[in-house]
Amino acid sequence: MFTTSLFPQSSPSKVNEYLSDDLSLTFGLLREHPKVYWIWNHRRWCLENIPDGPSEEDIDGWRNATWKKELFVVEKMLEADARNFHAWNYRRYILATMTSPPPPKSELAYTTRKIESNFSNFSAWHQRSKVLLTLWESGELDRAKSIEEDFELVRNAMYTDPDDQSVWIYHAWLIGEGNDVPRLQFEITSIQELLDEQPDSKWCMESLVRYKRLLVTKHAATVGNEAVRSLVDGCLELLEKLRAIDPPRRRRYEEIAEGIKSSR
Amino acid sequence: MSASQLLIPLHVQYIKSLGENKDDLVYHLTAHLRMNAVYWGLTALCAMGHKDALDRDEMIEYVMSCWDEEAGGFGAHPDHDPHLLPTLSAIQILTIHDSQDKLNIPKVTKFILSLQQPSGVFAGDQWGEIDTRFLYSAVNALSLIGQLHLLDVEKTVGYIKKCKNFDGGFGAVAGAESHAAQVWVCTAALAILDRLDVIDQDTLAWWLAERQLPNGGFNGRPQKLEDVCYSYWVLSSLSILRKLSWIDSEKLIPFVLSAQDTENGGIADRPGDLADVFHTVFGIVGLSLLGYPGLVDIDPVYCMPADLVASKGLRKDWEALPRRNS
Ligand SMILES: [Zn+2]
Repeated sequence: MFTTSLFPQSSPSKVNEYLSDDLSLTFGLLREHPKVYWIWNHRRWCLENIPDGPSEEDIDGWRNATWKKELFVVEKMLEADARNFHAWNYRRYILATMTSPPPPKSELAYTTRKIESNFSNFSAWHQRSKVLLTLWESGELDRAKSIEEDFELVRNAMYTDPDDQSVWIYHAWLIGEGNDVPRLQFEITSIQELLDEQPDSKWCMESLVRYKRLLVTKHAATVGNEAVRSLVDGCLELLEKLRAIDPPRRRRYEEIAEGIKSSR
Repeated sequence: MSASQLLIPLHVQYIKSLGENKDDLVYHLTAHLRMNAVYWGLTALCAMGHKDALDRDEMIEYVMSCWDEEAGGFGAHPDHDPHLLPTLSAIQILTIHDSQDKLNIPKVTKFILSLQQPSGVFAGDQWGEIDTRFLYSAVNALSLIGQLHLLDVEKTVGYIKKCKNFDGGFGAVAGAESHAAQVWVCTAALAILDRLDVIDQDTLAWWLAERQLPNGGFNGRPQKLEDVCYSYWVLSSLSILRKLSWIDSEKLIPFVLSAQDTENGGIADRPGDLADVFHTVFGIVGLSLLGYPGLVDIDPVYCMPADLVASKGLRKDWEALPRRNS
């Protein structure tokens, strides 16, 4: 609608040409100003106004070609700054809106590449969580199996840099509500091993407290009284240590400890 | 001057000087933020107890010169198209100056409501950019002018729920990564709508507390740099969740103070950078929430003087740190 009023004299192929040229021209501008809202919005506007064509048999032809190019543009932008949230939002928008998007599994592979090149890229972990949810929902991936694989991916990252909070936040997502007792126990053991190697790792301790509490609050009957007592003692000991090594957030650790003690 | 204290007279002077030099290139470059800048300046002055340092009548006249009678909204500048961000700022300025009688309330209400999309989010203007910032602007503005009952609350809250992530935070649009500024707008909007139950409060407060870096400043997302404005997004959200004690204010205060321009006034995003009114207001308002001596209480939900919000019956259940004497 806007297009016909903005380009009243132009044929669809001319309009397509204008918009493609404009996208190419403003790519330079985008590289210089990768965080300016209006440049990104302008690209959206261009995309949405690509006319039908080139022919009646192929009405999405121009659109597909342009949108594919945009996916390439956004990849360039994410190579320059892997955390640029404008670029990630635009990427999600393109994937959600284009008529023949690449399969979600290729997006999963993209996040794997991004994560493996830099474990601290929380934006990629975030995107991965969204893609996995889609794949599980559609049945394209088996939830249990892919969680298993992701625990392996996360384990590599944890060992590479135990201080990287991105990884631990994602790990907490994989654990979720903590309904899987063997998984909780396995992760607790494996994080404990890492903590033995890195005795000052705040994120190991934080995560141990979190998962031990899940066992205590949700699975007390399964693990038994004696185990609960030792989990509780373990939590309190860890919280005491966390208070000491992470003083800015000590009130939080104290409150969690108070909560544990009052429900003991 | 030393940066170990908040240089209130210097910052008042700085804010007064901003409006004076209209030939300044920066003035023209920031025309699209002019109305917001006036609100930021006024709020900073209110927080420092110098509300009257800028001429009230002149300010109201400026605000009304940006009113678009046909559309029913405010532009950022007299010749600009109306948009939700300047519309909220205009309403906040008029409210602070007890001048809501200047507003055509039915008209501006209609404008704001017209920007709600079927998904529940708000567009900023007729061009359709969507963002939870605009949703907050709409909710805040409607609340200030007593028209919140006309909003479809379920639909609005429904969109915020879609923006909620596994880390407890919220993004700019559904699917987007959590970001401290978006966390604040979503948390504050939910507070106004009395729907804080939507938030997983322990998880979110944890994520927010982890924004504090060893130098005392806050980042907006994991593994990013500190910035003075992020301290406000985090502090205001934590005070709405009543968890301000989960961060170290003793380390944050010197960080914000060190970003002051001790010669010309104003606060920058971080020490050594150029000051601007945006970081000035959010630096000062953040200090106010931490109980910094000599400042006036600011409501973290509306980002306006707390007394004023309370007098309109709009105060929510937030908690700041107690005001210190020195
Ligand atoms: Zn900033």
